Amino acid sequence: MKSLEQLTDSVFYIMAALTEPRHGYAVMSLIEETTKGAFVVGPASLYTIIKKLVAEQLIQLHDDSDSRRKVYVLTNKGREILLEDIERRKTMIHLAEQGLQRGQK
Amino acid sequence: MRNKRYMASIGLAFSEVHDMKKLSEKAANGWHLKRFRFAGYGLEKGEPEETIFSIDYRKLRKDDEEEYFELFAYGGWTHVCSSADMHIFKAAPETTPIYSDTESSIDKLARLAKPVNLAASIALAITMVLWVFMTFASGTIQHIAEQGFTYSFIITVPAMMTSGGVYYHMWKNLRLKSKHI
Repeated sequence: MKSLEQLTDSVFYIMAALTEPRHGYAVMSLIEETTKGAFVVGPASLYTIIKKLVAEQLIQLHDDSDSRRKVYVLTNKGREILLEDIERRKTMIHLAEQGLQRGQK
Repeated sequence: MRNKRYMASIGLAFSEVHDMKKLSEKAANGWHLKRFRFAGYGLEKGEPEETIFSIDYRKLRKDDEEEYFELFAYGGWTHVCSSADMHIFKAAPETTPIYSDTESSIDKLARLAKPVNLAASIALAITMVLWVFMTFASGTIQHIAEQGFTYSFIITVPAMMTSGGVYYHMWKNLRLKSKHI
């Protein structure tokens, strides 16, 4: 299993959705709504990524009383990794924004 | 008129995309996938329908099944049939693909590769042992090994080709990923 050093967009979106407890398809609909359908996660990808994140202890089962809708949430390790990736993405955006501003002058 | 038909497959490791396309053409002609059958699919006659098909490979624990199928249902994919660790789903055309990113579709192929490689390695090992006996033993043992070698060779070649098929698809996926700027 490949480790998740740099989060892909799909993984990033899913982890972002799991900052609060959610079940799989609440994650799917949140991503679709927030991005107005510009980014969608297929069910097989979502399931694969959820399993991977659980195995890497970045998310954990929060509530499995309803076996059709298991609820997951970020672990402390998951929060750390997400924060690191936010910083990585901020650097990218910062670089681009500053460059564009300078370019306009 | 018979209302059941059989559609053969040359092996999912080679022809997954082709098989799914063909199933969709059959459905458009009113022949619907009902179940897996030996080396192929069982179809039944019904109303013509515009549908697309997808297959996933996954070992499901009993308590994971509901969650798994529920996610697909929510994504617009109806479960049609399963055989061992293979699950086929159908959906209306234009539904979001079950795999929306390259990383997890490569993971899917890696899951498929595991049992395929194991089978191919076992077949290859048996063939090699039999070859040793065939070459260095004598009398009855040599004779039996010779016969066994022929049979195991016939099994090993397609098994290794299947392994190769899976890796070819993985490589294609990786190339797709690198093109995706």
